Amino acid sequence: MSVNDGIIWVHEDAISLDHPVVAAAGPGAQPIFIWDSHNHDALGYSLKRRVFIFECALDLDIPIYAGTPKSILREVANGRAIYAAPSPDPYIAHVLIDLQKDHEVVPVDARPFARIASDVDTRRFFRFWNQAKKTAMLSTQELEASQNTSRDDA
Amino acid sequence: MSDNSQIRPVIFDPKLRLNRSDVIAKVRDLSPNLASVDDQVSPIVGSKAEALKQLGRLNPATYGRTRNHLDGAVTGLSPFVRHGVISTADIRDQALGLNTPKEAEKFIQQLAWREYWQKLYRENPNYIWNDVEPYKTGFDAEHYADDLPEDISQAKTGVACIDQFIAELLTTGYIHNHARLYVAAYVCHWRRVKWQAGARFFLMHLLDGDPASNNLSWQWVASTFSHKPYFFNLENVEKFSGDSVDTRFKTNKTLAGSYEDIYARLFPNLEPKT
Repeated sequence: MSVNDGIIWVHEDAISLDHPVVAAAGPGAQPIFIWDSHNHDALGYSLKRRVFIFECALDLDIPIYAGTPKSILREVANGRAIYAAPSPDPYIAHVLIDLQKDHEVVPVDARPFARIASDVDTRRFFRFWNQAKKTAMLSTQELEASQNTSRDDA
Repeated sequence: MSDNSQIRPVIFDPKLRLNRSDVIAKVRDLSPNLASVDDQVSPIVGSKAEALKQLGRLNPATYGRTRNHLDGAVTGLSPFVRHGVISTADIRDQALGLNTPKEAEKFIQQLAWREYWQKLYRENPNYIWNDVEPYKTGFDAEHYADDLPEDISQAKTGVACIDQFIAELLTTGYIHNHARLYVAAYVCHWRRVKWQAGARFFLMHLLDGDPASNNLSWQWVASTFSHKPYFFNLENVEKFSGDSVDTRFKTNKTLAGSYEDIYARLFPNLEPKT
């Protein structure tokens, strides 16, 4: 680990060290998890939900901090890049947007489940599935190979 | 970790192995505002090893055939997917390794629901707590109660199967998807409570509770994200339940009747169902 290595925010939507964000951040990057009980209080999370989340985080053998993500990430990163899995959750998304003011924030997507055009009709599921199934029925290896082929063709 | 950091992790002991009671004590310690009345802990343990154990038991073909039955095959993977311990791509790969694409398709289609909800969430964050469309029940949103009645949150409605499903949710943090639909329909249509109140209750307790799949499924039941309200009758619960669910008439009277009768009772302002 060097002072130039980034940190990885392992948040509650991606409690894993197998997520591509970890490889993208490199071997020197420090993953951390942040326990924000105020957010759990706001969501009304029961003890069982909190225990499950805590167990998943504890299982990774990474430092767990308690407090507000924005301030903890700023303090721990201390100017270094922050890698994180993007999330539609406004709580996570807002933290990452705010950190962009003074840090390099690198979002890294999960391995794709399917290749779906951005303009797919999402009003009802089956319209979505009819398009998604062409690539959702491929293995990740096949999907990535077909993605590379389409890039080469482009 | 940065040498300049003034803060210290609450846990930073690689290979630290806490037993479950220590974990629970630590969570309580780190959750000072958690109501002390809530003392249930799920039998489902959060770890990658547990996720992989469930993945190893996967049987996509059986799942496709029996998934609607309350005692049918479920994967047990949803809490782990919800928190990214394992990905839908990992599960799909496992399914394709076990079965032919044709056999696995129904299962992979179910995985696609999560992708669908997540895409909707990313593109329409306002859908999560707001009605996507008006109710199609013959009632407006203001006809529905804002808060979940206590008898529902405490599994004391007096409707046996509903109480059983809610009690299971409170105890384990997990109920079968079909049971979720029954409870949601009961809350929205029998009790005329806003879907938001029920969705919040589910998110408090479901280990796999995800704002997108949970809330948009509640909206599907309520009819604010579908063409018509979802409802059921006791016969349907009987059909999909195993012996462990109490579906006797005398303990579930309000759910008994033909679809036409129940429709007329629940939605008196709509045209009769024929």
